[in-house]
Amino acid sequence: MKRIQSRYVLASPARRPLKIFASDPMQGRAAGNLTTIAVGNEKLTPGPAGSRIEVVDYDGSVSGGRYYQPVDLDDPAILMQGGLEPTESDPRFHQQMVYAVGMKVLENFERALGRSIYFLGGRRLRLLPHAFRGANAFYDRRLLGVLFGYFRADQANPGRNLPGQNVFTCLSHDIIAHEVTHALVDRLRSNFLEFSNPDVAAFHEGFADIVAIFQHFTFPDILHDYIRATRTDLRSPTPLVQLAQQFGYATGRGRALRSAVDLDTGGALRARARGDEDQPAAEPLYQSVMEPHERGSILVAAVFDGFFSVYQRRIADLLRIATGGTGMLPAGDLHPDLITRVAGEASRTAQSILTMCIRAFEYLPPVDVTFGDYLRALVTADYELNPSDDVGQRACMIEAFRSRGVYPDGVWSLAEESLLWENAPPEVPRFPVALLGDLSSVAPGAFSQASPPRESRPAERTTPQATPDLSDLTDDVLRPYAESNAELLGLQKGRPIDVQGFHSVFRVGQDGRLVIEIVTQFVQLEKSEKAAMGGLPLRGGSTVIAGADGTVRYVISKPLSRERLEKQREWIDLVDSTDPAMTYLPEDRRGERMVATGFAAIHRSIVR
Amino acid sequence: MSPAAKKIRIGMYNVGFGDAFLVRIPGKKGESKILFDCGSIKQGDGGPIDAVVESIIEDVKDADGKPRIDVVVATHRHRDHVSGFANEAWSDVEVQEVWMPWTEDPADPEARRIREAQSRLALTLHEELTRLGAAADVIDLAANALTNDAAMQTLHSGFGGQAVRRFLPPRDRRKSTFTAACLPGVLIHAMGPSFDENVIANMDPPEGKSYLQLAAAGAADRKDPRPPFPGDWTYDGTPAGGLSTEEKAIVDGVGDGNESVVAAALDGAVNGTSLVMMLQTGRNFLLFPGDAQWGTWNMILGDSEWTALLKKTTFLKVGHHGSHNATPRPFVDDFLPGPPNDLWAMVSTIQRGSWPIPKKELMAALATHTKRIVRSDQIPGALQGVFKPRASLYVETEIPA
Repeated sequence: MKRIQSRYVLASPARRPLKIFASDPMQGRAAGNLTTIAVGNEKLTPGPAGSRIEVVDYDGSVSGGRYYQPVDLDDPAILMQGGLEPTESDPRFHQQMVYAVGMKVLENFERALGRSIYFLGGRRLRLLPHAFRGANAFYDRRLLGVLFGYFRADQANPGRNLPGQNVFTCLSHDIIAHEVTHALVDRLRSNFLEFSNPDVAAFHEGFADIVAIFQHFTFPDILHDYIRATRTDLRSPTPLVQLAQQFGYATGRGRALRSAVDLDTGGALRARARGDEDQPAAEPLYQSVMEPHERGSILVAAVFDGFFSVYQRRIADLLRIATGGTGMLPAGDLHPDLITRVAGEASRTAQSILTMCIRAFEYLPPVDVTFGDYLRALVTADYELNPSDDVGQRACMIEAFRSRGVYPDGVWSLAEESLLWENAPPEVPRFPVALLGDLSSVAPGAFSQASPPRESRPAERTTPQATPDLSDLTDDVLRPYAESNAELLGLQKGRPIDVQGFHSVFRVGQDGRLVIEIVTQFVQLEKSEKAAMGGLPLRGGSTVIAGADGTVRYVISKPLSRERLEKQREWIDLVDSTDPAMTYLPEDRRGERMVATGFAAIHRSIVR
Repeated sequence: MSPAAKKIRIGMYNVGFGDAFLVRIPGKKGESKILFDCGSIKQGDGGPIDAVVESIIEDVKDADGKPRIDVVVATHRHRDHVSGFANEAWSDVEVQEVWMPWTEDPADPEARRIREAQSRLALTLHEELTRLGAAADVIDLAANALTNDAAMQTLHSGFGGQAVRRFLPPRDRRKSTFTAACLPGVLIHAMGPSFDENVIANMDPPEGKSYLQLAAAGAADRKDPRPPFPGDWTYDGTPAGGLSTEEKAIVDGVGDGNESVVAAALDGAVNGTSLVMMLQTGRNFLLFPGDAQWGTWNMILGDSEWTALLKKTTFLKVGHHGSHNATPRPFVDDFLPGPPNDLWAMVSTIQRGSWPIPKKELMAALATHTKRIVRSDQIPGALQGVFKPRASLYVETEIPA
């Protein structure tokens, strides 16, 4: 074979560079704001439309609707310059930016989970950069799409924007990352759009903010600048730790929309000033704040706090080296080499925390998540991969949650071994699908980047389109296994069991070991009180994690129980009594109030 | 007559959807008269509310033929609680004191900010709903929150005599229980609205702020409906990957129906300013919670001094015409006295459109506490011997003092 015919020559480039605003147009052409990110190279048709994300530029704000010209990113003229130049006035750049940032989020998920993510039925996630006029952006499950709004900046108080100028939510890195994360969370845990306790919606929001904020740290230029400006104190209020600056100012808030640190929470900071940081705040916000975005900020602050502690540990030696052992930085500018090294540590730490946060998904129960469950999942997932925790990443994270009053249910202490999910009892029979013997049937997606894995569909979805061989596996193997071991798996005997997710995970641990797991979600439904609870059924279920040889290692369970029903009912009563709309909601619509298809209720948005 | 034989008289006027309660408390020097609210959701010009005003003024005339009221309480500024005060006849009524929630204090900057935010939202919302041709009951909801200037003027500077204005509760929680020279023998407990930041936050809901912005941007867009980009970037026809008709409908409908949510939020916000008051006299504890909703109730139910008093309630004006959010279930279940204690309850209400008011479950729950409950829309059927209907305009109960 001629060398010219070899794969080495013929293979297309692995990455596609695309230009974006690192934060949003309001930061203007400030250094680092115009940046280039590289996403996986795939064949794109005008839109751009790839295999998993497609941009549909439909504007519903004019009567009859209209489309805008789609960009062809494979056009040589555009390829040659690494994508269109950032600009507010060309919708094709907007399309490029939502695609690029959306892909970046997707890749972060794939990297952390160790597998490719496809949307159900081989559908593509649609991004509509100019869907409506309004200061908001939404994920809509029916469309499997993210709808970005555009609006005019506040006339009286526009911040650094022109009064009345058009502001595009689709040009904010943070808003794109936030909304695409909602779509991915919905893909991984579809029951998390049923807000069965105060943490579920808050988890959706907080997690979306976490992804948006930590993605900032992957942009080397701005990271470098802000480390210089803040003299390594990354908690300072810079655009790095703030979300959606332009949006916040353009809507007259006079500040960024949200921040990773400002909620931190007066309480924790004051406690630190008093010198008794071991005491959680007298009334932690976790006890009182119920609005999903604000409550989500508690999760963000906890994770960011954990990040900051690890980062400080990691740069302590660099600071000592740079300061002749004192660790006290002198006045004046920092040495550029030091900045580069510190930026490297910040970026690595951020990536590692982000990966840890996403990886925890495999260890979450399939329904009714709480912040406490999430902490346990974080600890367990990280423990499985890095048992030794050399840099104290887990310890810092546990501490950050503790100081915010987030305590998981049913643990004896906040020691690491107590926070790990309990191991499955030894009498749980071997999982019926063992990877070693049956590799190809359970892990098609792990070896081919092109073919979507076949997964079962969650219950109560429209257009079921199960692939025959997997539904065979579900019907013939997985469900019978769960039925005959219901009690051991935390399920209710005799009640129908739905298989809502089944995949394998391959990861390499810190010590070079290959970690293989088979993750399956079983869900059960209790509908009797659905109407009384505003249309929310009680769901129970278990996430079952088996090793490569089929040994069941963890059963993470939320069993159907009277106690959980009572709790859910109490929560819904609280929602009802605090919601002024309940006063006027006609009787015949009350039965669906918790699942209303209106945007206000179920769609996860950047603001409420 | 011995004091024991004296009776407290509480009259509920039938104003439709609104409130007007006249309380008369016997004392050594005759009766003290307290009027709680006087309004109806319907415009008052020449309509039924003026008939009610006439009737009240007639009812408060002393032996010398001069109408006198000791205290006028305006629980909050909703039209259905104050519209009657726009009537000019009030200038002949001698009033000693006017009590309003602290949010009406003209000297308090925070109160002013809240009032301005609420009226700006009410005005914009009302204009938008009218422009959009929204359903009548949603427009009514916004109209209810419009500043009722004439009525508020009477409350702030009108009435005969030298009426003193008090804004309650006082900022100092310890002064929330007090006596007033104009109400001898009565201990007043002003329970709400508190100054807690969550309660205040509810008075200026975020839905309102973002709505105002949206409305302003919408108006700008109507003036200049050009596409958001310079030049014509429109694609003719449907590109590959275009949306289906149903999918387009979903996108086109974004933001629709938002007004009714905002209208409800505004309504809740104004109700959140409601003065909640208990009058303690002899063995009676008369509770007038205005239209207070969750935020205010939550503070009250978390205050052991207040809950101890709630457990002694002998008369309850059911809040907000018997709606879902104005009478929390924990209050009814855990604090409201039931049999064999003597509880009287009055609900000023009427079924309007699709509103679930009064709420059936609440009425059923109250019925398990007392049989002595009367609704203003069912006066002819009121319990004989307990309530005395007077024509269709008025029902009165007499509680042994």
